[in-house]
Amino acid sequence: MADLLWLIPALPLAGFLVILVLGRRLGEPGAGVVATLATASSFLVVAATYFDLLGRPEEERNLVLRVFEWVPVGSLKVDMALAADPLSIAMALFVTGISSLIHLYAIGYMKGDPKFPKFFMYLNLFVFSMLMLVMGENLLVTFLGWEGVGACSYFLISFWHDRESAATAGKKAFVTNRVGDWGMMVAMFLAFSAVGTLSYGAINHAAEKGQIAAVTATGIALMLLVAACGKSAQLPLYLWLPDAMEGPTPVSALIHAATMVTSGVFLLTRMAPVLDAAHPWATDVIAVVGAATALFAATIAVAQTDIKKVLAYSTVSQLGFMFLAIGSGAYVAAVFHMITHAFFKALLFLGSGSVIHGMHHEQDMRRMGALRKVMPITGFTFIIGWLAIAGVPPFAGFWSKDEILLYAFANNRALWAVGMVTALLTAYYMTRQVVMVFFGEARWHDAAAAHGAHGDHSHEGEPHESPWVMTAPLVVLAALSVVGGGMQLPFSKSTHWLEHWLAPVVHGAEADIKGTWAYDNKWWLLVLAILVASAGIAASIAVYSRGRARPIEPTVLADGWRYDSLVSAVVGGPGRAAFQAVADADAGIVDGAVNGTGRVVLSLSGLVRRTQTGFVRGYAAIVGAGAVLVLAWFLLRGWT
Amino acid sequence: MERGLVAPGIEWGDLAPLLILLAGACAVLLCGSLLRGWSRTLTTSLTVAVSVSAAVGGAVQWERDSTVIGKYLVSDAILIDRFAALSIVLICGSAAVVALLLHAHLAGSPDDGVELQTLLLTGAIGGIVLAAANDLIVLFLGLEILSLSLYLLAASNRRREQSQEAGLKYFVLGGFASAFLLYGIALVYGATGSTSLDMIVVGLSGKARIDGSDTLLLVGIGLLLVGFAFKVSAAPFHVWTPDVYEGSPSPVTAFMASAGKVAAFVALMRVLVTGFERRVDDWRPAVWALAVAAVVVGSLMAVTQSNVKRMLAYSSVSHAGFVLVGVEAASHPGSDGLASSGLYLVAYSVLVLGSFASVMVVAGQEDSATSLADFAGLGRRRPALALAFSTLLLAQAGVPLTSGFVAKFGVIKSAVDAKSYAIAIIAMVAAVVGAYLYLRIMVSMWLDEPTDDSRPRVQRAVAIVVGLAVAFTLLVGFLPGWLLNATESLAR
Amino acid sequence: MLAATSAPVPFPILTALVLVPVIGASIVSLMSTRMPEQVKLVATVVSVSTAAMSLWLLSSFDSHSGGFQFVSRHEWIETWGISWHLGVDGIALFMVVLTGILFPLVILGVDPHHDEKRYLAWLLMLEAGVMGSFLSLDLFLFFVFFEIVLVPMYFLIGGWGYDKRVYAATKFFLYTMLGSAFMLVGIVATAALASRDLGRFTFDLVEIAERSDLATSTGRWLFASFAVAFAVKVPLFPVHTWLPDAHTQAPTGGSVILAGVLLKLGTYGFLRFGLYLFPEASVWARPALLTLAVIGVLWGAIAATMQRDLKRLVAYSSVAHLGFIVLGTFAITSQALTGSVVQMVNHGVSTGALFLLVGMIYERRHTREIAELRGIQSVAPIFAAAFMVVMLSSIGVPGLNGFVGEFLVLIGSFETARWWTVVAATGVILAALYLLWAYQRVFHGPVDEANAGFGEMNLREGSLILVFIGIIVFTGLYPKPMLERIEPSVGRLVEHVESRTEFRAPAGGASHGGGG
Repeated sequence: MADLLWLIPALPLAGFLVILVLGRRLGEPGAGVVATLATASSFLVVAATYFDLLGRPEEERNLVLRVFEWVPVGSLKVDMALAADPLSIAMALFVTGISSLIHLYAIGYMKGDPKFPKFFMYLNLFVFSMLMLVMGENLLVTFLGWEGVGACSYFLISFWHDRESAATAGKKAFVTNRVGDWGMMVAMFLAFSAVGTLSYGAINHAAEKGQIAAVTATGIALMLLVAACGKSAQLPLYLWLPDAMEGPTPVSALIHAATMVTSGVFLLTRMAPVLDAAHPWATDVIAVVGAATALFAATIAVAQTDIKKVLAYSTVSQLGFMFLAIGSGAYVAAVFHMITHAFFKALLFLGSGSVIHGMHHEQDMRRMGALRKVMPITGFTFIIGWLAIAGVPPFAGFWSKDEILLYAFANNRALWAVGMVTALLTAYYMTRQVVMVFFGEARWHDAAAAHGAHGDHSHEGEPHESPWVMTAPLVVLAALSVVGGGMQLPFSKSTHWLEHWLAPVVHGAEADIKGTWAYDNKWWLLVLAILVASAGIAASIAVYSRGRARPIEPTVLADGWRYDSLVSAVVGGPGRAAFQAVADADAGIVDGAVNGTGRVVLSLSGLVRRTQTGFVRGYAAIVGAGAVLVLAWFLLRGWT
Repeated sequence: MERGLVAPGIEWGDLAPLLILLAGACAVLLCGSLLRGWSRTLTTSLTVAVSVSAAVGGAVQWERDSTVIGKYLVSDAILIDRFAALSIVLICGSAAVVALLLHAHLAGSPDDGVELQTLLLTGAIGGIVLAAANDLIVLFLGLEILSLSLYLLAASNRRREQSQEAGLKYFVLGGFASAFLLYGIALVYGATGSTSLDMIVVGLSGKARIDGSDTLLLVGIGLLLVGFAFKVSAAPFHVWTPDVYEGSPSPVTAFMASAGKVAAFVALMRVLVTGFERRVDDWRPAVWALAVAAVVVGSLMAVTQSNVKRMLAYSSVSHAGFVLVGVEAASHPGSDGLASSGLYLVAYSVLVLGSFASVMVVAGQEDSATSLADFAGLGRRRPALALAFSTLLLAQAGVPLTSGFVAKFGVIKSAVDAKSYAIAIIAMVAAVVGAYLYLRIMVSMWLDEPTDDSRPRVQRAVAIVVGLAVAFTLLVGFLPGWLLNATESLAR
Repeated sequence: MLAATSAPVPFPILTALVLVPVIGASIVSLMSTRMPEQVKLVATVVSVSTAAMSLWLLSSFDSHSGGFQFVSRHEWIETWGISWHLGVDGIALFMVVLTGILFPLVILGVDPHHDEKRYLAWLLMLEAGVMGSFLSLDLFLFFVFFEIVLVPMYFLIGGWGYDKRVYAATKFFLYTMLGSAFMLVGIVATAALASRDLGRFTFDLVEIAERSDLATSTGRWLFASFAVAFAVKVPLFPVHTWLPDAHTQAPTGGSVILAGVLLKLGTYGFLRFGLYLFPEASVWARPALLTLAVIGVLWGAIAATMQRDLKRLVAYSSVAHLGFIVLGTFAITSQALTGSVVQMVNHGVSTGALFLLVGMIYERRHTREIAELRGIQSVAPIFAAAFMVVMLSSIGVPGLNGFVGEFLVLIGSFETARWWTVVAATGVILAALYLLWAYQRVFHGPVDEANAGFGEMNLREGSLILVFIGIIVFTGLYPKPMLERIEPSVGRLVEHVESRTEFRAPAGGASHGGGG
């Protein structure tokens, strides 16, 4: 099987190339079909690999394929190598799986877009990069994918590039991510100088053997955190993600919810042994960043009116949960939540996309309502997604979130409390969204009238259910969101299925916290979590459905605590001024010195030139003076 | 009375170049003034023939005198060594070239140029005597013969008053300088009891200090230095150069810059390096200062000029500075400074001849159109000429693969060998400043729009001269070996 | 794919590499202006055959030896111990290939607006000079080529440049000449001092470097004199300001060559005549040069961000990129040095391509003002795509060539110059900032009527850029053939430095028994 690993990334790459060359000829929906097939077949190969691994004894579940030597210089030997182990395959499974669904969905969503083929070209390129990221055998291959997905996200966010806002958002995403990339590079340098290689196996091995000094490991851990904060939109770098909603909704679902944004979490999980080798406070930092982000983003989501913005902030918040898990040593829980989140968040985004599609590109929830009647499938599936994220058993999100909170409790109760508050808010704002969009009275007649005019394909002003290519993925994802929790259930050792699967590469099993209060009382915590979730839902319904209380939506929250505007004020104000100062200094001082020298020479020349009076007497005087000087010297010599 | 007088033995054969020139001068003068129907062409051809044969004579002496010691003539009044032979070749060569240029210069004017050509030859005689003199008195004679001829040549263009002015200025200031020189000779004689360089050497070698009269000697050296510095136009004794170079007819300027400089420099080296070898520590710093002053002032002043002839005048000042750098190096024991100075003189004379020939073409009939503007767009009007001139200018700027670079490199090498790093660096940096002037000329030739589309007339004679100059420049630039081997023998 | 067979060839390939362009230039300049087609043909044939020779050199280069190959040595000026001594090692090899490839592309791809004949003659002259500089193993010979290069470039900028061309050309000429003024003195002094050890006066680089050892303080002075010249040529902060003017004013072809190969004379000089000739002094001067390099990276990037002229922006990005190269050079580890060499080539390709694209924009819009351009991607998607790929390579996105060099430089420098590297690495953020911002302003947004007529890339332009993109992608994905040829020579250089100084380059943590 190992020698077929290359197929996994190669298939989407092939799709990309085919569309690149024949894009125009394939047209619509041809390009979309090609792309979808490429991704789907890649999914099949992954599945095959998965069963292959399943068939092997645990310690042999690690296939490596060296495609070719990539960057061999002296002691640095980096291969273009792919690794299939439980973690990477788990990632690859949901990445290719969800990607296929979203590709299919996009065929419907992008219908009639003039750049239809290009869209799928980028999409395939993204899937390729994402697969390189997760299947890379060493940090550099991962970095290749890492930057690749970044570039694709840039292309796709600014896909409608004649919209200034889209162009700006794309640039913002890329540049912000570059800050993270800087962290990842430095992490690589540190790892290389410490271990002499970039391959995960060797580095983690060295870390477990304690060959990496704690201080170095800490350095690596923190730099990886910087990297992850960029990609996974954590404080203080999360800013790009809400803006990234400028991209087409399938992109938001695929890149900015399900897959790319989780790669930060993946990276940290990959390097778990190094994190463990670091000073304990390093992981605490990660946990704090996670918790803080989770709460921060959740508060903002409460006041958003754009259907996608709510989901965007919710994504940031959920990613915060995953970081909290990593920081609490719950790597399995992190992966678990990553996967379930991928299910329900993709579902929610696609659902919102379907709504936007049906509403002719209306995104303001205040202009929606009662849509469950006109869009039954979308509505139904969206509600399932809502229950999943809100943490209602037995839906997927409940189990994963709960496991994270369990570890958080064991690790640091303050952070656990933050997590609980976040969970409450999550339930609250998601309910708010569902109510505003699908329940209550329809507020979209005027809206439709207003927008139907220029709606790309407004056969009639009325909202309408989306075609099957769009709803089918919704149904599948909804199903997954229901049963997804099954892969890791807290009941008994045997139900910790994901944990067993990941065991060879990722530890962080429940055993680690055995004996803690949390472990002994995990059922109480579970109940508490349920209560919190229901409280959130109840409150939200009370406010938005029953109108028992006036909604609390202060503008400061709507503006995201004004953090974004503050940053852009700093960057656009003092930052820009400083840059301009440098540019001016370059022209004025550095170059000024050069031209100044020239001017000095010229003026000197003009000065000396004055001696050329043209009068013989003047010349004679000069000659005489010169003679005096010369003679003075010789007289001096004479006396000594 | 007659008995007391013993005529010194005169080696006629060895004096051949001088005699040829002398005879030639008389011949030109007589034929030109007496024979009816004697044309300018004939005058020119005769002059060229005379100078060429004299040059050949010099070459023969060079070859014969492989034993670098040299040969004393006329009771040690004249020393024909390799330096002398080289100067003979250079001076006569330049005389021949300038004769051609004069011919072209006079084209279309009533003047048949007999006087000019005659003065040219006498000037050559003076130059040779100056360069070959082994006795300070003879040296002074040579200097005066050369100078007087040059004064007259400078003023020879009666239709341009700048020419008259140039002649007058040169005459007055030249006399001033000669006075210094003469007084210096007197003091040296007073201090050493002889005017013969050999005697002086012997006199000095005896004792480190000449009791009492040491100061006398030093001041004498100083005065000599001043005199020479004036002739080679080293700053601050260069002040006459721009006006004279600009005012004189271009061919004459070419002669001054080539033959005049060569003769004066050879004499300077002979006197200082040979005669006062014992006193290097005394005069070295002075030469150092003069060299620096020359390179700096020359380059500095050139940058704001707008008249090409003046520019070249200043560049000649900085070139003089470079030769002095070589002289400074020569003052260090075991240095090949003399060789590199000689090399520089050879390269420079050719460059300057070619350059002024090119200028002459653009200057036109009145020999007055020499401002930068007059060169504008020459690249389009006369591409070949512009290319040739550019080559010569780049060579003067010291761009590789030209004789100018080889020469500069040689001088710098001598300086560095002698550990005179400071002067080497100063000279090179000054050269960069100087390069700006050559760039400006090239800019106006290639990049500026022509003010008028007139295509200046290039006479065959001039074309030949420029062509030869460029050929030599590039030949030496690419294959300097032979010239180096030749000049190497100049270093004692 | 590239057979490595280094049989001693009877044919003096290196001499040919220098002379063929010279001959071509002479032929071109002798041809009549009235038959431009033939002139162009001759120039093309000459440059293409030179390129072919350079590629042949690449293929028959023995990738296992780090020494000089294809050496040809003839006495030139015995009196001064100067010889026509050419040789190529893994470092020079790729400079030569880059030169060989860029010139025909420029000749075929970009037309001057007037006097094509003279333009081509100068270009070929330039090629000869550059080739010579990269191949010389004799100090004097190197200086000759290093200096002679100024003349054709001066005329190219001055003759075919834009409105402020004379100013820019003069600045370029004098600034660079000032640098080499010191180097000339340094060269002579080196030969003079070395002659005491060698017993004979010679300018032979290899002999001096291998067999003489200069006193510490002297060596430092001499190194300084060389360093000035190279710093100006690179250009290193703060002597870089001739570059933006020269680049902006030069004709497109000139800019491509200037960025592509001329700047490399400086970085190459640092390797060949800095590290190799003065190991001790180079190690001694490391902190200063590393600092200047890092400042250059940031300074150039920041200045680039604020430029209003697209071409000027690219010029400043060069300052930043070359800062990386110098950083890698003076980190003196095999990764960093290899990275530097790779980066020299990459910068030549990427920035060369960028200048071509900017030139194409100018051809269409007759402006380079970013403010004047808008929404071009809507009307010329292919053009935009090409620009995007080249831009990403310049930003250093993995999978494209720019990354390989940058990454190697940084990871190698991290070993010996940790903090400098950490700071320099932030340059990758700025690179994204200035390029993407410029791209957004030029290509994104709604297209206005001024740019509505922006013509899509035509076949000739397309195929030209395609060559560049091909190199960009290939080098990014499969740099091995390149690396394995560079590394032996670099390794030899590092050993040379270590054998003569206290400096020790850590073997990238290999002590831990690392390895893929």
